[in-house]
Amino acid sequence: MIWTEKYRPKSFEDVIGNGKAKKEIETWVDNWKNNQVQKPLLLIGPAGIGKTTMAHIIANEFSEYVELNASDERRYDDIKRTIGESSNTQSLFKKGHKLIILDEIDGMHGTNDRGGTKAIGNIIKETKHPMVMMANDFYSKRLTSIKPKTLVIKMNKVHTNSINALLKKIAIKEGIDSDPQVIKQLALNSNGDMRYALNTFQATSEGSRTLTMDDLAEVSKKDNVSTIFDAVQRVLKSKDLVKVKEALRLDEDPTLVLEYISENIPREYEKKSELKKAYDMVSKADVYFSRARNTRNYIYWRYASDFMGVGVASSKDETYKKFTKLTGPTAFTYMGRTKGKRVLRDSIAGKISEKLHISNSEAIATFPYFEAMFEDDELAWDISDFLSLDDDEIKRFRKKKISKKVITKKEKEKAETLTKHKLTGSVNENKLFDSLDIKNSKTNNKKKQTSDDKRISSKDKKKSESDDKDKKVSRQTSLFNFQ
Amino acid sequence: MNGPWVEKYRPQSLDEIVGQNHVTDRLKKYIGNDDGMPNLMFTGPAGVGKTTTALALVKSAIGKYWRQNLLELNASDARGIDTVRTNIKDFCRLKPVGAPFKIVFLDEVDNMTKDAQHALRREMEMYTKTAVFILSCNYSSKIIDPIQSRCAIFRFTPIKGQEIINRLKTIADEEEVEYEDSAIESIVYFAEGDMRKAINILQASASIGDKINNDTIYEVISKAKPQDVTDMITKALTGDFMGSREILREILILQGTSGEDLINQIYRDVSRRAMEGNMDSEVYINLIDGIANTDFRIREGANPRIQLEAMLIKFL
Repeated sequence: MIWTEKYRPKSFEDVIGNGKAKKEIETWVDNWKNNQVQKPLLLIGPAGIGKTTMAHIIANEFSEYVELNASDERRYDDIKRTIGESSNTQSLFKKGHKLIILDEIDGMHGTNDRGGTKAIGNIIKETKHPMVMMANDFYSKRLTSIKPKTLVIKMNKVHTNSINALLKKIAIKEGIDSDPQVIKQLALNSNGDMRYALNTFQATSEGSRTLTMDDLAEVSKKDNVSTIFDAVQRVLKSKDLVKVKEALRLDEDPTLVLEYISENIPREYEKKSELKKAYDMVSKADVYFSRARNTRNYIYWRYASDFMGVGVASSKDETYKKFTKLTGPTAFTYMGRTKGKRVLRDSIAGKISEKLHISNSEAIATFPYFEAMFEDDELAWDISDFLSLDDDEIKRFRKKKISKKVITKKEKEKAETLTKHKLTGSVNENKLFDSLDIKNSKTNNKKKQTSDDKRISSKDKKKSESDDKDKKVSRQTSLFNFQ
Repeated sequence: MNGPWVEKYRPQSLDEIVGQNHVTDRLKKYIGNDDGMPNLMFTGPAGVGKTTTALALVKSAIGKYWRQNLLELNASDARGIDTVRTNIKDFCRLKPVGAPFKIVFLDEVDNMTKDAQHALRREMEMYTKTAVFILSCNYSSKIIDPIQSRCAIFRFTPIKGQEIINRLKTIADEEEVEYEDSAIESIVYFAEGDMRKAINILQASASIGDKINNDTIYEVISKAKPQDVTDMITKALTGDFMGSREILREILILQGTSGEDLINQIYRDVSRRAMEGNMDSEVYINLIDGIANTDFRIREGANPRIQLEAMLIKFL
């Protein structure tokens, strides 16, 4: 039997790590049992930390469950068919709730999953049953519309000490003879991925009933990154043409190798002339990579490889006798670190560009102006309302929250204007055309308002009143103008 | 609506548009004309009213159901020509409803590649019966001839200082904010004929102080200025390559500035330094050589980050 199944926790108590998440989930289950309707759960976290396990433990608490997995096609219709029907019907024979489980909802893509996100949104809206969804990537675009409608629970990597303890327990149960040091190393290698730890443990110890450092080395041997570092090391430390060319023969994307070389040149080379020469070579290599890509003549790769290998190696006057700690491309880690900010930036830019009819890049260029405008509480509310910004997006422009007083006041005003429109019946189906007329009436009338400099609430009310009156007149005039 | 003033005070009809009479007068002839409208191309710098004019024209030419019969696309946002084409195809396939014709408004066409422009040209031919295309760009020279010859070209000019002043004052009065005349003049100076920028500065400085004066204006301007580029170049010139590289990544990755845009800013900054007398001719021309090479390579399709890193090394 596969150990990941054999040792899968059966109850909340068995689950290792994520204490806080566990508690939140237990309350959620208890509330359902007391027939209090709860928002759907969304478990977010990296692979192998027990999201699916958690979902199945939850399922044990309910009388029935349906599950849809990543391996199934998740077109709109499919989701509707499998879950949609059961989502708002109740079982005849069994009492209690039916749990709906949707795994890897951020993994939906392509034509086979067309409309999937929308279907999930609909199910969330319609269902009377408890629902649990799982996803890996907190910042996935597919989750943006789903997240606000759910109770998001972030699950973290399991601490290596906890994994270590679990592995030791299993070793005893399975009667495996192993050095504690080796088990600790395996726990470290797993990097919080429990499934990886268990699978590796079983694969290496099965048959021999022992686990040694050599076994572990055998498993982690296929680690390509180390060979990239070897190649970079050779390029920076050697001036030997044959050795450098040989080192660059590796089974890796060469443009990635270029990133590693370019990252580490300034850590090794010290003289300005060397740096200039070396980067000239990097730049040339990059040019040939792009030519290869654009013309699909991948024969150019060999030139790129020579420029970034022999070219960079021969840029130094002589080899440095020092130890240099090499690192992976920091630009990539920077991209990873800033992903949340960038997703936020793009979603705001998208909203601005739609409302203000400008491109995304131009929208980003206007951010500083918005920062200034957001210093005013009421204007901050107005603009957020106009662009439909959510709380995170507002935070991008101002650190302080908009004060509750302003929010309640503004929301009241908005509601009042809306009801007034409804009463007078001046809002017709073509709303956008109305906004055009408001603008016209304002300029036609050039009405001077006589309230003082402080923006008082009555001002907005008055404006909407006068707008209402002017609207019909101005529509006639504007049509007249057009013909 | 109390949102951004650029939208609140966007002119809604051709008559309200400021400073482009030579364009709007000609455009008015198309309205109510039974012969329909040719394809149009609006060229001119940013913030002079190209989009506003297009929207106003659409509203008066199409009438009540303009929203349903207009497709607005930004060529620099739509990822690749395929998106543009499918969007246009889906939109143009059906007959116009409640309107004499449909309108496709395509912004920033000069950001499209030559290949994409050729593809666009075929779309324009295919749907001549149902749709009118309005293209907008900064430089008509970047548009391929076959497209130019299929369009009536309208050139927008930077808006004159006095006209921007009048508009800003009208808005300020309407919003009941106090201002100093000299402050309005400084806005006009910084805006360089760009009305959108001018109005953004006006609203931003109105919201950080009780009164619009030179202090609030400078506060806003200094926030919006690309200070990072200057820092990055200074760091490189003084030998701090790692620090300079750090800023480069922030600009490219976090701020999302494109390689082409950044190289424009670098060129402007370096030549400003030279004009201020802080640079030897020989040093200057060496830097320009590096910038020119990098520019060419980026436009040719190379990786902007790697190319710009290699260029900053030359500044050491």
